[in-house]
Amino acid sequence: MVDNIRMQVTNSLSNSISENQRLGQLQDPQERQSIINKQISIQIKSLGLDEPWYSPKKIINSLLQIITLNLGNSRFFTTHDGSSSVNELIIEKVPNTILLFTSSSITVVAIGIVIGSYLAKMEGKFSDQLIAGLASASQSVPPWWFSMIMIVLFSFLLQIFPARSTPLISPDTPGYFIDLLYHMTLPFITMVIIGFASSVYYVKYIVLRIIDEDYIKTLGIIGLPSRKILLKHALKNAGPQLTTMLGLGLTATLGGSILIEEIFDWPGMGNLFYNAVIQNDSPLIIGLVYFFTLLYLLTRLLLDLTLSLLDPRISTGDE
Amino acid sequence: MLTSKMKLRLKNYKGGVLGFVLLLFLIGITIYTVFYIPAKERSEWNNPFYWIDYPKNAAPAWVNYFLMPFNQQLPEHKVYSKEEAVISSYAETDFKVNNLTFLYEYVYGQFPSAFSIPFSLEIGEISPAVEISVKRPDGLTFDLYYNSLDPIPSVQNEVGAQLSDGDTHPYEISQRLFSSSKEVIDTLMKYTNLFNFSLSDLPSEKIIFSETNSNIPLKGTYQFVFTTYSFDNDTILKDINLIIEGKVFGLLGTDEFRRDISFGIMIGTPVALLIGVAVASSSTTIGLFYGLIAGYKGGKTGTFMVIMIDIFLSIPTMVLFIILSLNFGRSLLFLIGLFVLFGWPGVALINRTFSVQIKNYPYVEASKLMGESDFKVVLRHIIPQLIPFTLANFALSVPAAILAESALSFLGFGDPSFPTWGQMLQDAHFSSAEILGYWWWILPPGLMISMTSMAFILIGRSLEHRAKLSKKQ
Repeated sequence: MVDNIRMQVTNSLSNSISENQRLGQLQDPQERQSIINKQISIQIKSLGLDEPWYSPKKIINSLLQIITLNLGNSRFFTTHDGSSSVNELIIEKVPNTILLFTSSSITVVAIGIVIGSYLAKMEGKFSDQLIAGLASASQSVPPWWFSMIMIVLFSFLLQIFPARSTPLISPDTPGYFIDLLYHMTLPFITMVIIGFASSVYYVKYIVLRIIDEDYIKTLGIIGLPSRKILLKHALKNAGPQLTTMLGLGLTATLGGSILIEEIFDWPGMGNLFYNAVIQNDSPLIIGLVYFFTLLYLLTRLLLDLTLSLLDPRISTGDE
Repeated sequence: MLTSKMKLRLKNYKGGVLGFVLLLFLIGITIYTVFYIPAKERSEWNNPFYWIDYPKNAAPAWVNYFLMPFNQQLPEHKVYSKEEAVISSYAETDFKVNNLTFLYEYVYGQFPSAFSIPFSLEIGEISPAVEISVKRPDGLTFDLYYNSLDPIPSVQNEVGAQLSDGDTHPYEISQRLFSSSKEVIDTLMKYTNLFNFSLSDLPSEKIIFSETNSNIPLKGTYQFVFTTYSFDNDTILKDINLIIEGKVFGLLGTDEFRRDISFGIMIGTPVALLIGVAVASSSTTIGLFYGLIAGYKGGKTGTFMVIMIDIFLSIPTMVLFIILSLNFGRSLLFLIGLFVLFGWPGVALINRTFSVQIKNYPYVEASKLMGESDFKVVLRHIIPQLIPFTLANFALSVPAAILAESALSFLGFGDPSFPTWGQMLQDAHFSSAEILGYWWWILPPGLMISMTSMAFILIGRSLEHRAKLSKKQ
């Protein structure tokens, strides 16, 4: 990939240099080429591209570029407006990824809380086994394969949803957002089906453990209705654990988003990343890896902060 | 008689037993593949010439059982060899005619997807002429192909020409006539006036097997006649096949590249198990010892080691896997190394928690007070306690490796010399199989991945249930 970067620098430099007016006056093409080559070698030296990858100059250079979000231009991809800047490309795609994955993760957790706490109260034997079985199954089924099956089912056999989730109309037209939501339905349903069983299973497990605690039992003895205990006291105390579950679910889907977005052709970051990898568009790959990591770490940070808000015991810092 | 306690235990094992049965099934496939399919055949998966006699995009053969009530059975794949043909020959004044007739019983409700006739001839100095025609059940006869064989068109003939520089003739000519070839379609256009509908844009098999009034299949016995007109005695028909490509084939059908899917499923099994077991055994071993040292040592070393684990656990692995595979090649060994590198920290964290707990048990402290060395304490008291958990961890980290490998293969970073289920799904996705509805290409590989993961998860869960730390020893 380093060679790709060098190639790109060489290309962009030779373009900008040959556009120079003064060079155009030179008649001899060989002389002109030698000037261009000299300029390129000076630039390569100043950027440290001729040095091995571990040279501090090169590392500091690229680090500075990345920190200032100067991620360069993509070689093959453009935004809807025609800009090829990596930043703008990513900014165009990020909302779609967040829209799909956040909404489905929240739905999964919401379903988990509703059904999980209901099942914790009921303690039916059959439903317990069913949920445990479904949870094991959803962990062993590759989500991307399940997405393919869903496309066969809903796009080929039933023909309800489109197989390709990128809307055909341009983002400027008024009905775009509604069309986008319609195209989002199939990936959304798929991700909810994949996630809900383990979510229900974990919520049930968490709530069952809390219901067993003495203070909840005391509330029951006092005479509070069991529904109120569950909603007001048990779920409140399960808050930190449920948030952890949501956060871990979000971070887990981030990596998997590459495959799922590629299969559904959802216009998000994962799909862009996959296409960049296929086309070997190195500036875009580097930029997207950076953004993925950033988003991942940000989610984890947010998770930790929310946890300390929900459970003051965590924020003291002592072990 | 089962006591209630035994019943309870059996219930806990039910999942484990199911997992074990699944595992035995997979091991059975592995043994069959390793011992009965030679390595040479296994490496032919990506070789298109090996699969040329197979049908394209054929559904599994058992689909016909479901279509039987609707009388819409799909044509089966038929390969006729030279021995099945009826041979008749006669001599004219200056040439000899040699007829081979294949009888094809056609009883299906749909057209076959194609046919091809590969033949090879040994010819002398004068090249013979070849004619292929088909006699239909309604009495019509269509000529499909007529050609006087040119002695030097293809590579084989050039080799033959070199050999025959002296007086040693026979050349050998191998050709393959496809139903989609231009010659066949052009010759069929002669018969336009026999049909009541337009023949333009129709593939040749839909003309040959069609009724004349409307474009529906005409059932009955078809005679494919292969005729050679030879002008000397040296012309010998070496080999000929008639291949009617069906729309159903075998146990699991075929894919876009004519490959038998059941074959791919079988040769994918040992690779998946190898990856899973290799990664899981390495990462659980590393994780066991790392976690043990981190927990037992404690203090600054322990904290540092835990920080290392945290760093590894806070990396978005899928993105990193893709980047690393992109840069460092696509070998199986590299993939295994990659999964081990990011597989051990999770196991290490669990083992650390346990070893911190065990360290404070009275008998461990007692043996330390008695002056036993750290090494001996770990070996005699801590490791034996951790073994059940390690076994469970082993079983639970197999699916992670298998799923990761299939995901990477799906993205195109698999080792191309070892066909895997993930690669099959990648091919399917690239050929838009899910949009075209080739479910037989998508379902089996994914089901195998799920089944393998499921087997190990079930075994791991039931092992986890059994494992318990004991405070006494």
